[in-house]
Amino acid sequence: MNPSNPPQTAEYGGDEVSAIVLDPGYSTTRAGFAGEDAPKSLISTYYGKYTADGQERLLYGDDIYVNPHPGLSVHNPMGRDGIVEDWDMAEKVWEYSITSRLTTAKPGNPFQNGLNDIPAEELPTEMEVETDEKPLADSPLLMTESAWNPAKAREKTIEIAMEKWGTPAFYLARSGVLAAFASGKASGLVVDIGASNISITPVHDGMILKRGIQHSPLGGDYVSSQIRALFKKNSPQPITVTPHYLVNSKSPVEAGQPPQAKYRTFPADKAPDASWRALLEERTLSEFKECVVQVWPGPNKLSAASSTGAPNEEVARSSPGRPFEFPDGYNQVFGVDRFRVVESLFDAKAAIADPDSPFPAPTQAQTIPELIKASLGGVDVDIRPHLLNNVVVTGGSSLMYGFTDRLNHELQQLYPGPRVRISAPGNTAERRFGSWIGGSILASLGTFHQMWISKKEYEEHGANIVEKRCK
Amino acid sequence: MSGKRRRKMPKRAAKKVPLRTPSSEEPDTTPSKTSPRKGRLVCARSYPNRKPKNMPPFKDEHIMLIAPGSHMTLAQLGLPESFTPARFRFPTRMFPAQKKGEFEPYRIRERHHTVKPSNGHRAPEDAPAKSDTEMKDAAPAAEGTAAIKSETSKSAEDSADATADGVEKTEVQETFYEEDVASDEGAVCPIQDGRIVDWPCFFALLTHIYNALSPPFHTPILLVSQPVWTARDKEIITQFFFEKFKTPGFNIMDSALATCYGYGVQTATVIDVGKTKVDVTAVTDCAVIPYGRGIALKGCGGDAMTDRLVELLGPRGFTREMCEQLKRSNIAEILAPGTPLPGAAVTAHQGPNPAAAASTGGSGATDAVPRGPGENTQTGTENGPDDDEGVLDVAAIVSGNTTEYLAKIEKEKIGKKGGVDSKQKNAPNHQKEKASFQYEEFSPLDDDGAPVAGPRRYIRHAREIEVGAERFLLATPLQGASRLSSGILEDIAYQIYYTIQSVPDATRRSELWDSLIIVGCGSRVRGFAQALLGVITQKYLLSPSATIFTSEIPSAFSTPLPTGGTNTPAPMGQQASPMYLPAAHGVNPLLVAATHNNPGMAAVTPGTPAMDPSMSLHRSSGHSQTPTSVKCLRLPDYFPDFKHDGNRNAPGASQGPSGTQGGHGAEEATFLGAQMGAKVCYVLDQGLSKSFMTRVEYNESGPSAIHDFGF
Repeated sequence: MNPSNPPQTAEYGGDEVSAIVLDPGYSTTRAGFAGEDAPKSLISTYYGKYTADGQERLLYGDDIYVNPHPGLSVHNPMGRDGIVEDWDMAEKVWEYSITSRLTTAKPGNPFQNGLNDIPAEELPTEMEVETDEKPLADSPLLMTESAWNPAKAREKTIEIAMEKWGTPAFYLARSGVLAAFASGKASGLVVDIGASNISITPVHDGMILKRGIQHSPLGGDYVSSQIRALFKKNSPQPITVTPHYLVNSKSPVEAGQPPQAKYRTFPADKAPDASWRALLEERTLSEFKECVVQVWPGPNKLSAASSTGAPNEEVARSSPGRPFEFPDGYNQVFGVDRFRVVESLFDAKAAIADPDSPFPAPTQAQTIPELIKASLGGVDVDIRPHLLNNVVVTGGSSLMYGFTDRLNHELQQLYPGPRVRISAPGNTAERRFGSWIGGSILASLGTFHQMWISKKEYEEHGANIVEKRCK
Repeated sequence: MSGKRRRKMPKRAAKKVPLRTPSSEEPDTTPSKTSPRKGRLVCARSYPNRKPKNMPPFKDEHIMLIAPGSHMTLAQLGLPESFTPARFRFPTRMFPAQKKGEFEPYRIRERHHTVKPSNGHRAPEDAPAKSDTEMKDAAPAAEGTAAIKSETSKSAEDSADATADGVEKTEVQETFYEEDVASDEGAVCPIQDGRIVDWPCFFALLTHIYNALSPPFHTPILLVSQPVWTARDKEIITQFFFEKFKTPGFNIMDSALATCYGYGVQTATVIDVGKTKVDVTAVTDCAVIPYGRGIALKGCGGDAMTDRLVELLGPRGFTREMCEQLKRSNIAEILAPGTPLPGAAVTAHQGPNPAAAASTGGSGATDAVPRGPGENTQTGTENGPDDDEGVLDVAAIVSGNTTEYLAKIEKEKIGKKGGVDSKQKNAPNHQKEKASFQYEEFSPLDDDGAPVAGPRRYIRHAREIEVGAERFLLATPLQGASRLSSGILEDIAYQIYYTIQSVPDATRRSELWDSLIIVGCGSRVRGFAQALLGVITQKYLLSPSATIFTSEIPSAFSTPLPTGGTNTPAPMGQQASPMYLPAAHGVNPLLVAATHNNPGMAAVTPGTPAMDPSMSLHRSSGHSQTPTSVKCLRLPDYFPDFKHDGNRNAPGASQGPSGTQGGHGAEEATFLGAQMGAKVCYVLDQGLSKSFMTRVEYNESGPSAIHDFGF
């Protein structure tokens, strides 16, 4: 036996290969190895498309932000409701999220990849070795899905994982359940505030209660549209968000004064698409959300009167404003307006009307308190107190300042009886990656082996097996 | 030897192994090539837990460092008393050998040599010299003999051919294979944009480096990884090092982290300007932030600047090599934004020898000249007379055009004394309308067919070339680029902005803006750092009026509490203090107290479970916009060899394609950090805190466990 031969897989615990957890969302796609505490790979679900030399090229991940090309347009394979619309592109984006940072197909022919010393005489002269191995050929895969994912989409997902990526084992888990796991609970009411959706998922003993699932489109993107509406109505002048790539240089101006910046222009045939500009504007808006936007902490709505009798709005007005500077140098202090842009998540009447917005005016039933009410109305009355005692807040948009305070007040008003207890991780990453972290926990458990659908089972039963096994 | 020992140990013996005393069979104690298989059994059975004390400590002089880059791979064996720039630089390229899948470190040139059969003593003279430098490559080649064998058989074939053709009956045409040290022709670059594109070639390079450094057996290895490498890439590399070199200890260190070590900081934004790409990484508390990391930003490296110069000066007859040297020269400079170009006219004309320029442009010989710093220092020796500044180039005189050469030297001397352009002589570079640099080129001394044994020889031509204001334009956007670039600096600045904004912990962003580190040889261009800072200031720095309320003061509020982060209502009292305002977080509390009194907001309703107190203290939205200031860090000057602006502005810094510009400075802080990292993990720590992977651990858990070890 040749001492330079690589050890057999069994010798170094080949079954210890950690699974890959893929958590695709509308705005970002998270991927990483099970057992780690944060996803190694976080990419935008948006992908870019442009034409160069007569060929269509695609851009993924961070490249779509930092790598502008003439005519670059961005698209999202997911629909606004969190269900995949464009499967071909979803597969590519997801695959990129895995292969860019985590794992790739094995490098080429094992006889020539430099890892193996094979004496010349042992080397088979002409041997056809399959060189294009599939990217996930030796990693089990755990994927997440929204609670309302239709059966067809689930079957398509396992098809991609098994046939395109060649994963040896697969499991599909509900993101709500995983978010509950991430905060160490098997039961709880998961409030997920994402980019395109907010969803309420009651989880009991690791199972979702299907009748209690509620979701509405008032997510982070909706808040962005409210911010844009606010900018439009801003006085003394409407604010236009100019992304950094259009600004050559800016000069400092006083607050509220028109910007003095040198702009960059592109000839019409070179300019990137409007969708790309919107994507970059979104970066500025998320900075605005981080630095300025604040949820009225309650109690009561912003439009209501506080316990002392003064209108809440007056109270909010008298709090110090928060300044924000735009990429073109325009800056302004935002006072009570910074509460208004998110108020409609709780109070539909407070929405800032904007006829150009892609979002229709929200209905009261879409607001978070109503969703929670409807969700709890759909579950057994006996477990409601338990769920209210274990409210899990997750999702990137829940990081808006004061959100959990407000949620707590709203819930206490709705359910004065049972004890309401909100669990929201303090760490930004834990909140943003809640469902991924839950997946990481689940896939690193020893019992994951018993849950997953192996390639053999898939081949035996077909894609339909996912309906039976991943409940 | 190892085979015999293995045969003597049947399976039953292996089972007995745990009974033996550990020290006698511990593979790491025996500095001989023990069979890894035996070692694996012994270790796996008898040492379920690591016992580093059983391993002799690593010595400074045995530690091996390898830092692969797209262009140059830095390597060093042993940590010196005071850390120095890398002792060895290997161009990151290999040449395909005759056998498919094998690689040679140098281009092997075939030379046909017609000799009489009687004086065939030349051949044996060549052959041993050859086998000395023959590198044992990754591919089978049992100790390199196969390659030589194939070579000799090839020459036999050739001679057979020659005789068959009946060219010469009495003379035999022999084919010699010689290494052409200076040639780049046909090279395979295993790393492109930081990514490993050709694994066999990359492994061959590592093997070549390993063999060239020839470390003793008890040598731990630290590899500096490129940001673009995936987890799988690192596993493959780990497997290679353990299986191929049987190294007793191995670790991979991220290049950005290494840079932070070099600078002695825990939090920084590392901007690594490479050959074809730029990496921008945010590091907080010695942890690399993987999100929004600028990985291999294309079209921003040193090559992009050369491309731009070629675009500008190409029509004037400048070759790429000239532009490369111009970029490295003292006169090429990136001006801070807003600095006017000297003179309106953008002109360039060539120095005293335009005819030569034309001819070199046509021959394409300039491409064969090795580029990059320290090319010829590869084996640690100076290669030929190329690098002796101020010494007469004997080869050039020998080559025949003695008078020309001497005349040129004279001219240079006059130039240096200030004979030309005395008016502008003392003006700073950016005010001179024109300036000249010394262009050097190498041309082969002998023709391909000439019957000269030994390494190919080159002579150096040097001449002055005058350039106009184009020399300040190397960071301007390429006209022909498919990418919509606003210039290298703008693109890098945006990437920095994007990376810092992507850091999840918003409280660290301002600190990251204040600690930029610019490394990488691409940043050696004069004025690079200042210009980059200028662009950031111009585009991203917030105006004072936007930050009046948010002066960053180190208040007690921004200190994260050590609470677990769940819903204990305990720290309520702290929050309810009158100074606490949800809106006022990150705001000067005195300012808030003075301007504002709002009990309604300050009162956190008692009895409600507080929303995670630690969260509200270091959450993102509580913080102000960044950047309010931007600063570059300076490399601490504990290590005199790593000096800032080492020789960047030194007179006559242009020293031709060999590029040994007297040494490397702060731009190689990554390697300095790697030395520190190696010192920490292999010498000081000795593996107590799982800072590196030992053979034992590799044998137990396989390559994927490398991710558990780290800094």
